[in-house]
Amino acid sequence: MLRTWVSLAVLVAGSTGGAFALRRRCERTGRGRRFFRHPTATTGVAVLTFFVLVAVCAPLVAPYDPSAQPDPVGLQNRPPSWLHPFGTDLYSHDVLSRVVYGAQVSLGVGTLAMLVALTLGAVVGAIAGYTGRWIDAVLMRLVDVGIAVPRMFLLLMAVALWSRLPLGTLIVLIGVTGWFGTSRLVRAEVLSLRERPFVDAARALGARSGRVIFGHVLPNAAAPLIVSAALGIGHVMLLEAALSFLGIGVRPPVASWGNMIADGRDLLTIAPWISLVPGLGIAAVVMSLNAVGDALRDALDPREEAT
Amino acid sequence: MTAWLLRRLAASVAIVFAVLTLTFVLIHLAPGTPFLPSTDDRSVGPEIIARLRRQYGLDRPLPVQYLKYIGSVAHGEFGESFSQHRPVAQALADAVPNTVLLGIAALVIEFTLGIALGAYQAARARRRVDAALSHLTLFFYSVPTFWLGLALLLVFGQWLRWLPVGGVSDPIVHDTLPWAGRVFDTLRHLVLPACTLGLVGAAGTARYQRAAMLEVIHQDYIRTARAKGLSERRVLLRHALRNAVLPVITLLGLSLPFLLTGAVLVETVFSWPGMGKLAADAIFSRDYPVVTAAAILAAAMVALSSVVADLLTALADPRVRLGDGDAA
Amino acid sequence: MRTRVVVGVLVAVVAAAACGRRVGCTGEYCGTLVIAAPGEPDILLPPASDDARAAAVFDQVFVKLADLGPSGNTIGDAGFVPELAEKWEWDNPRTLTFHLNAAARWHDGRPVRAEDVAFTFDVNTDPAVNSPARASLARVRRVTTRDSLTVVFHFSEAYPEMFYDAVHHLRILPAHLLRTVPRDQFRTAAIGRAPVGAGCYRFVEWRAGQSLELAADSTCFLGRPHIRRLVWRFTPDPTVAVTQLLAGEADVFEYLSPPDLERVRTAGDLVTYPYAGPYYTFLVFNLRTRGDTTLPHPLFADREIRRALTLATDRQQMVQSVFAGLAKVPPGPMPLLWATWDSTLRVLPFDSAAAGRLLGARGWRDHDGDGVRDKDGQKLAFELLTPTTSVIRRQYARLLQEQFRRVGVAVEITEVDNNVMTQRLETGNFDAALMSRIADPSPTSSVALVWLAGGGSNYSHYDNPVFAEAYARATGATTRQASMYGWRAVFQQLIDDAPGIWLYSQQSVAAMHRRVADVRLRPDAPYALARTWRIPPDRLIDRDRVERR
Repeated sequence: MLRTWVSLAVLVAGSTGGAFALRRRCERTGRGRRFFRHPTATTGVAVLTFFVLVAVCAPLVAPYDPSAQPDPVGLQNRPPSWLHPFGTDLYSHDVLSRVVYGAQVSLGVGTLAMLVALTLGAVVGAIAGYTGRWIDAVLMRLVDVGIAVPRMFLLLMAVALWSRLPLGTLIVLIGVTGWFGTSRLVRAEVLSLRERPFVDAARALGARSGRVIFGHVLPNAAAPLIVSAALGIGHVMLLEAALSFLGIGVRPPVASWGNMIADGRDLLTIAPWISLVPGLGIAAVVMSLNAVGDALRDALDPREEAT
Repeated sequence: MTAWLLRRLAASVAIVFAVLTLTFVLIHLAPGTPFLPSTDDRSVGPEIIARLRRQYGLDRPLPVQYLKYIGSVAHGEFGESFSQHRPVAQALADAVPNTVLLGIAALVIEFTLGIALGAYQAARARRRVDAALSHLTLFFYSVPTFWLGLALLLVFGQWLRWLPVGGVSDPIVHDTLPWAGRVFDTLRHLVLPACTLGLVGAAGTARYQRAAMLEVIHQDYIRTARAKGLSERRVLLRHALRNAVLPVITLLGLSLPFLLTGAVLVETVFSWPGMGKLAADAIFSRDYPVVTAAAILAAAMVALSSVVADLLTALADPRVRLGDGDAA
Repeated sequence: MRTRVVVGVLVAVVAAAACGRRVGCTGEYCGTLVIAAPGEPDILLPPASDDARAAAVFDQVFVKLADLGPSGNTIGDAGFVPELAEKWEWDNPRTLTFHLNAAARWHDGRPVRAEDVAFTFDVNTDPAVNSPARASLARVRRVTTRDSLTVVFHFSEAYPEMFYDAVHHLRILPAHLLRTVPRDQFRTAAIGRAPVGAGCYRFVEWRAGQSLELAADSTCFLGRPHIRRLVWRFTPDPTVAVTQLLAGEADVFEYLSPPDLERVRTAGDLVTYPYAGPYYTFLVFNLRTRGDTTLPHPLFADREIRRALTLATDRQQMVQSVFAGLAKVPPGPMPLLWATWDSTLRVLPFDSAAAGRLLGARGWRDHDGDGVRDKDGQKLAFELLTPTTSVIRRQYARLLQEQFRRVGVAVEITEVDNNVMTQRLETGNFDAALMSRIADPSPTSSVALVWLAGGGSNYSHYDNPVFAEAYARATGATTRQASMYGWRAVFQQLIDDAPGIWLYSQQSVAAMHRRVADVRLRPDAPYALARTWRIPPDRLIDRDRVERR
């Protein structure tokens, strides 16, 4: 238990210190200054760093084995205490340990699924926007179809195709059903960039389409992508909770914040800590991601570059 | 204009057709079989299931079933629900009005609250109120909807007893009330689910509105208006808000699929028998005709609402010309 | 100015809503009972539905010739109470004559006739209808009518439960309304959504996904019901259903889960009624190879492995953890409801050391030190199937997973929706599964279905001639005592062979508003006696007095 408290303290100190150090370093550049000008940017960076560090150092931080059931009768649904700072759940699991290990899964699923969606969206959007003509038309009609089916329907049906669903497949499925909006965003951005001088220059120098798209156009369209990605991670974490509520999320005994919330909902009145703690975890991450996203948008905004 | 509309409508039909095909293939590929009982503590017996499959033509090759289905849909026939033992059209007719009511109520909450909050925040940009409101709306945004719904039910239904715990109307007194009473009863039942769905969306709309408003505030005509000596309140409400609302209308069209999706969970928690619950149950029980019909309907609603949103944008803003290919 | 108008309109609406309530019903025969129901029935036509939620409605709308009495006896006709049949007599051991009550009427006003009974028998034995009652009627050769109020059952042989078989599953149908319905379309018949029966409640309205309402038939030949309206309110989320109960919006919930019971105990308006439940749950082993029912299973074909895994589970602790006293560990696969519950059966205890020794003796040891036993490079691991819809079974799966881990057995839990679960069970595509059954009042049909070779739900493919012989002896016994003795042998054989791990049998608990008096819940059908419940005139609340337009 002592180990937990010490490592938590170290991580809090480390992430706060890290955020402030980063701020000092970055304030020398214009972008960095604009980034940290946001009142909540520093806090956001600190909170995110903290959760990532917790996820990475999970074995060090967690006081117990997250799937151990020491005493399913005597230690069931216990309120927070010194031995179990966040209480225990239905199976006598230690909630703190599960939240810590759940951070690995939830942040991992959120980030990876978002990356899948982002990559797909960026590639499709860039190709459609850059090439134009019939390729554009076909790809955008595909996107229209994707947007026209509510995502939950798609996921429910897709998940039903696998009788035992590995975590990797779940991540890919969430990603594959979530890229349509991004591709429209990227396409619009690319359309406006396509006629810019630097793209013409690259083309004139004999660069091939692929190189122009990925080497020149996409990096310049990065700003809105990064911002939408920041919110996307939070969205995936919520989606995973919703899937767990319907019984098709991350499978036990693996803990994720989403399935912890879903598991705790029947006990909302008699053991609220089971779903409250991971819920607050998601809220903290989403709020920090959002703060960082806002700050990033200002920092990357080309219109502010001049001032 | 008419040409644009026709082209968009044709595209919508194509989209719906593609969604139909996608859904049809996905749901028929999924393991499991229709006609099983909804609980697993009794069994039906394989021979009766085989007979039912024959009766509904599920023993034929998939392409044949597909063509047959297309044919009947073209005639406006959606078949018969496997699990509810009645025409799909009837099942949908029961569910759609509930979803539309809930969806509209949620949209109203989402947009009035979102626009008001966003405008207020923009007027107070970078002050403490702005940040506090941002955090509050984000907090609602980051709470899982089903969890929020259950918590609201506990507080307003069980503890305070201000509002009913789920359902569309009071099963005992609703029919005995005069029309005003019935309206009031429905509204009482609508409050919690609509708020649950609306609050989550309001956070996003507020962010969007705040950004749009900030953009507008820095433009010349606002400076002019201020220079003319108009009151700040009048400048913001009459001039800034009016122009900043435009992009949000586009958002309205895009938020419809979200409402249908988010609705699955809200409808379950609040015993609100709408499309989301119907479709989810149908997927779980492999009720093929209901699944495909619900997907067709949802796709049609989404496609149409995006057309309407584009139309509205064009009507509200003369600078937008319709017919720019597929700029929407 | 504008706000004042808005406020005015609002006040008017509220006032109009308030004025809508009138004084309404007073006296002995008011009463409205709102039942919080987690699910909707599939179809309200008895031979087409095997759904427990539909059965609760059938108990009100339809009648049987005679019904199970409070003793729950199923042997001979002792203890059965008359319903549609005023009386009955045995012409000889294989011929049973029922005399119908002349006062019985269908809800459309026509009298109930003997030909309705004959028609009902015909429908229930028609393979095209595939009624759940068909198997139990196999030994009734035919049913004839002597006159319009006398009907005769001819059996092919005499046996102990023949009376029970004749009456228990047969809910009498109106021949004049169903004769025109093709037999293979009973499952989609329109009358199945607006049933007509001869019971004490008639059907009023079914709003899909919302509610189902029945109204008392004041002229009912079985006596006028005291409670005027029965309303099932569909609430898909059970937690919310209990919240409705606690908020005073519903009066009954018949199937409380352990955490919900804790919530209900603190509510002053509610009374809890425990009743022996018809549910029991066990882990079933697939004795055949996964996906190929012709080959033995590499692990579970071995009786000793199955016994070892049973020894490894602390079932008492799991029941404590999940139910806190609301369930019992059954000696064998049986619900609390059955008279065969016998605590003197020899059961396998919790003994993980013995389990380890047994597994070790079969060569399963942890050679590579990873915590999981292995043999010839093969890990001792299996997949456990459980339905996502059952919170309790999901909980059990995780408790079992941990207990097996402690003896070096790796279990992978697969949660699937009911549909896929049933399909995989029926095609034998599984290793082990958590199975729940809802039982009839008699073990005869259930045991045959689940454990006899060729039984419709024998997913384990358990096949032991010694067991089959014991079963034949038990069902052939003519006295209650001999029958008990016979069933003891049947269950002892099952326990020794361990084709499953018998996990729990639920003690069901209903919660009901305390204004309802004379409540009796029959274990096999909690609402069967609802027509005798009443709400005393001095305890009526608003919703009891509301007059329907």
